[in-house]
Amino acid sequence: MTMLERTPQPVTLLQRERPMRPDLALVGSYIALSVLGLLMVYTASAPRLIDLGVNPTQDLERQGVFVVAGFIAFGVVSAFDVRYLRRWVPVVYAASMLTLLFVLTPLGRSVQGAQRWIDLGPLGQFQPAELAKVAVIVALAALLALKPLPLRWPSMVWAVVVVAVPALLIFLQPDLGTMLAFGIIAMVILFVAGATWRQMAAMLVTATVGAVALFQVGAIRTYQIERLTAFLDVNPDVLGTQYNLQQSEIAIGTGGLLGKGLFNGTQTNLRFVPEQSSDFIFTAVGEQLGFVGAIIVLSLFGILLWRVLVASLHARDRFGLLVAVGTAALITFHVFVNVGMTVGVMPITGLPLPFMSAGGTAFIAMSIALGMAHSVWLRRSPVPGENTFGQVQLP
Amino acid sequence: MSGTWRVATVGVILAGMLAVLGLRLWAVQVTGSEEYQARAEFNQVRLVNTPAPRGDVFDRNGVLLAGTRPSLAVVVDMALVTDETEDLLSRNLAAFLNVPASSLMETFANANSGAQLILAEDLSEERALLLLERREDFPGVAVIPQPVREYPSGDLAAHVLGYIGRPSAEDLERPDVRGNDVVGKAGVERFYDDVLRGTEGFVKYRVDADRTVLSKSGEKAPKPGSDLHLTIDAGVQAQLQASLQEGLELARRLEMEERADALAKVSGDARMVLARQEARDAIREATALDAEIAKITDEDERAAAEAAALLERELLHDPDELNQGEELQSLYDGLPVDRAGVCEPAQRVVLGVDERSRLSGAVERSIRLISVTDARDTQNAVVVVDGDRFIVGRGDEFATTLRVTSIDEDRIVLTHSDKWCPVRSVGVVEDPRDGSIIAMGSYPSFDPTAFVSGLTSEQWERLGTANAFTNFAVQGLYAPASTFKVVAYMLAIEEGIYPLDRPVEDRVLGVEQPEEDVAFGEQPAVEALQPLLSDTDAYNCTGSLRFEFNDGSSQVYRDWKRSGHGPLDLHGALEASCDLYFWEIALRVWNERSDDEGINNENLWQEWARAFGFGEVTGVDLPFEKQGLIPDRAWFRDEQRAGTGRVRATGPWVGGDLMNAVVGQGTVLVTPLQLANGFSTMVNGGTLWEPRVVDSVTDQEGTVLDPKDPVVLASVALASKSVTLFRRDLQQVVNGPRGTARRAFESFGPGVELVGGKTGTAEIIKADEKIDQVDTAWFVGVAPVFDPQYVVSVVVERGGSGGKVAAPIARQVLQHLIGGPGSVTPLEAGAEAD
Repeated sequence: MTMLERTPQPVTLLQRERPMRPDLALVGSYIALSVLGLLMVYTASAPRLIDLGVNPTQDLERQGVFVVAGFIAFGVVSAFDVRYLRRWVPVVYAASMLTLLFVLTPLGRSVQGAQRWIDLGPLGQFQPAELAKVAVIVALAALLALKPLPLRWPSMVWAVVVVAVPALLIFLQPDLGTMLAFGIIAMVILFVAGATWRQMAAMLVTATVGAVALFQVGAIRTYQIERLTAFLDVNPDVLGTQYNLQQSEIAIGTGGLLGKGLFNGTQTNLRFVPEQSSDFIFTAVGEQLGFVGAIIVLSLFGILLWRVLVASLHARDRFGLLVAVGTAALITFHVFVNVGMTVGVMPITGLPLPFMSAGGTAFIAMSIALGMAHSVWLRRSPVPGENTFGQVQLP
Repeated sequence: MSGTWRVATVGVILAGMLAVLGLRLWAVQVTGSEEYQARAEFNQVRLVNTPAPRGDVFDRNGVLLAGTRPSLAVVVDMALVTDETEDLLSRNLAAFLNVPASSLMETFANANSGAQLILAEDLSEERALLLLERREDFPGVAVIPQPVREYPSGDLAAHVLGYIGRPSAEDLERPDVRGNDVVGKAGVERFYDDVLRGTEGFVKYRVDADRTVLSKSGEKAPKPGSDLHLTIDAGVQAQLQASLQEGLELARRLEMEERADALAKVSGDARMVLARQEARDAIREATALDAEIAKITDEDERAAAEAAALLERELLHDPDELNQGEELQSLYDGLPVDRAGVCEPAQRVVLGVDERSRLSGAVERSIRLISVTDARDTQNAVVVVDGDRFIVGRGDEFATTLRVTSIDEDRIVLTHSDKWCPVRSVGVVEDPRDGSIIAMGSYPSFDPTAFVSGLTSEQWERLGTANAFTNFAVQGLYAPASTFKVVAYMLAIEEGIYPLDRPVEDRVLGVEQPEEDVAFGEQPAVEALQPLLSDTDAYNCTGSLRFEFNDGSSQVYRDWKRSGHGPLDLHGALEASCDLYFWEIALRVWNERSDDEGINNENLWQEWARAFGFGEVTGVDLPFEKQGLIPDRAWFRDEQRAGTGRVRATGPWVGGDLMNAVVGQGTVLVTPLQLANGFSTMVNGGTLWEPRVVDSVTDQEGTVLDPKDPVVLASVALASKSVTLFRRDLQQVVNGPRGTARRAFESFGPGVELVGGKTGTAEIIKADEKIDQVDTAWFVGVAPVFDPQYVVSVVVERGGSGGKVAAPIARQVLQHLIGGPGSVTPLEAGAEAD
């Protein structure tokens, strides 16, 4: 852990003489993933679009717009001190919850039995759940940043409430993957915020009991269980679900060590793999660029994880710390679930691959999250952990 | 700083997640790549099978009997049809094939996803091109070359060739047989299906996930099936079929004449009919016999006079005669007839509710289905026939000629049948030198071409009602009647068992005919054999045999000719077909069944019969061959225990049963092929051949793949004198003064002296029928009789007398065989003889 080996330097809190240099590793990985994502979107969509006789770069252009918008969002948020955001957190949270509610109204768009989108007309579709993830991160961070340590039980209850509201709203859509993401993010933030082992255990029990209760009342729809269990082969009748899993696994498997080369991905290009430019974008990587390409992508995510966690340790306050840690959990969990799904170790959930999957809301939301982490880094304390752990002793 | 470990922990966990993904990617992309390659290949390739052309079938002279012509078929590969394209496809195909789209939709809905459906066959090339050019409008449709079976000679040898069709559930259990395949269903098409089928090829297509065909990625040409070269001679076969058809028509006309006579008799002309008949018979017999032996003629004249007297007496003194006549009249009036007024064995009548129809007959009757009632799963129909109302269920017989075949909710299917009308003629020509079948067939027949494109229901009903698809030469079981006396004949000579215990061996030895001296076409030394007709110690065939049972009661057995045949020996008995003589042989076998040493010879006759191949399948290379039956005590007991109703319910197997069996009546059953093969064995000196219709299997270039050499099943030790005598006696049946087939062969022309044979008339007795005697007419002919090359067996089912209808059919075939097609003379009825 390089960050811990740095020699602390005697500086005051008011000293802001550090020039705000961007974290080149973080920004570089972010851009590299985004550009690679664009390339993959293009290779995965072009053959189909050519078949349809429409502009083959149509999807690429569309995603390009989102990427540019995401870059702008990243830059803006980076330039903005997240500490000022804290006072706006209730507004952000409330707004996010309202958009989630809005999805459930008849104005929400239903696709494949799930209502997840709000149609914005020419601007495309807006997916509130993606932004809600960021909202939950800042809300939890804001809630816990000011709580004295050790955390009290009422804080835990508040944390549960903050997560439970969007989780339930998303459950009604329904989107199990996102609910799961909320749970993981909340656990990570609580853990870093200083929750005791007992409190962590209590949270885990609460989440489990909540999930079991939902199953018991039959509120979870059958197809959700099917999708979640298909990768275990326990439900081979669900041909469609099974088919997605097998096809993406075949696509990645046939990629081999070096891949088939761009546009030679027969599985992807012959459209055996569904949703190949959004949820299953990683199959395009695995098939066309092989094991080497896939490992490069994972490494880029590894670099992001490293840089964001380092940023968190340099945060000037606990809010920044928790936001950055939440961002790290958000991105990495998405990578794990999404890539894991394409190689058959995780169930199918609708979680996109950060910065690569086609889709505007997810890209912009992730960019905002990463931008916040970057902002924390830019305004870092010269002494790692100085203002986060220095003032209040953790147990 | 103590909080840093929490962040570190989170970092380790999250990094661990990424590491897990890396490991899994290694397993999938590096270690397991090959397996995934295979699965991807399976994903992206579809096979469409291309059927192999069936092998050709030729006759012995290379005449094509069954061939294959190329054609194109439209196949829909359901694996390439998605839910989205199904609609488009059904609409376009419906327009293309001119069928309703809804029926196509239904077909698609019922097909499983891997099925390849053949939707149209025999497509013209232009139409096929249209499909191929507009592939995008017909997703999942392939045009494949599909060989179509053709039978250039129509119904020629139809029963030997058999027919083809879609596989049954049973066929599908065979390896390599799929639902769309064509398999042989009968005849050599079935028996040699594996040889004829060849190996199908395939066309490989690359497809995408929408299962759109992208390109052809591979092809394997089908391997055509092998060719069959039959032992059948197309010319002889054509003659046999023509004669069988004409013979059956003759038999039907004769049947109508007999009915007319019977009706004339009861309508007052009795004396005239009788006198005419008697005069005809007397003149015929007198002239025939006059020229030969005076003594026998006297005997016969006396017999004829007796018979006439007997008949007259019966006619004049029967009080119920007129009533019977009326009944007979009404019965005959209602029997089905064809357009020419000739009887037909069965007609199918289908009636909807409230529909009217007419029942054919000398007097037509009207029939109407009033209603169908459904009570407790049994459906009954109310039918009115000529004002008489009947309530009938399935299987019921009513209105004399009608039987209910089936009843549906709104229709009834009836069979309007005539139980006395000659129903079928069957013939086999075999080469006794190697068991080759030269011709084989039965009439009514069918054209196997009809099966290629599928039979219409009308065709199916008409041919099915007539059982036209069955090869009765191997599947028909008949009582062989007097033709079977040859078994007892051989037994008598070989075992020395004669009615009077006086063997004729010594005299026979003196006139043995050396076989090699008689070649085809040579004049046989028949005269040299004549002294054998000496009557000095002959058995006197009086026409009736009194048989006394152990309990003192007695039964009289009557010869088919009530007046008897007069004095005759074994040879005369065969020639004149004297029942009594052979009954006596049976009685001797029966009485001497156990000798002093306690050896049981009860089955002596059965053993002889089985030695000639009776009671066993011949092993001919045709499917569904029937076994026939040679009854004995064990069989009799088993049947009795099983209660099959084929034998008496009580009492043991007795000598009378053996007597019946010896003259080919009772429960003896043979197929026409068995009879031909049995005769072949006797005339060729004792070699029992396995009959065969396929001479060799070759590839398309003519290289012999399987020579199919003749197979000897067994050898019967026959003294050459027995064989020579047998041939001579068969010759006398055709040529001798008392020969039962003499009249039938009168028009034979040159070479008649080279022909031998034996007639037979089986009486199938059914006690529950009003007119209880339906005859089965047989003739088995041999030529050239002293150097046999052909054995012809002919049976006319319900045909009446063997000498009258079966012998003339065989005569035409033999004329063709000996003198060529030009020497065949028209078919005329022979003499009424056993």
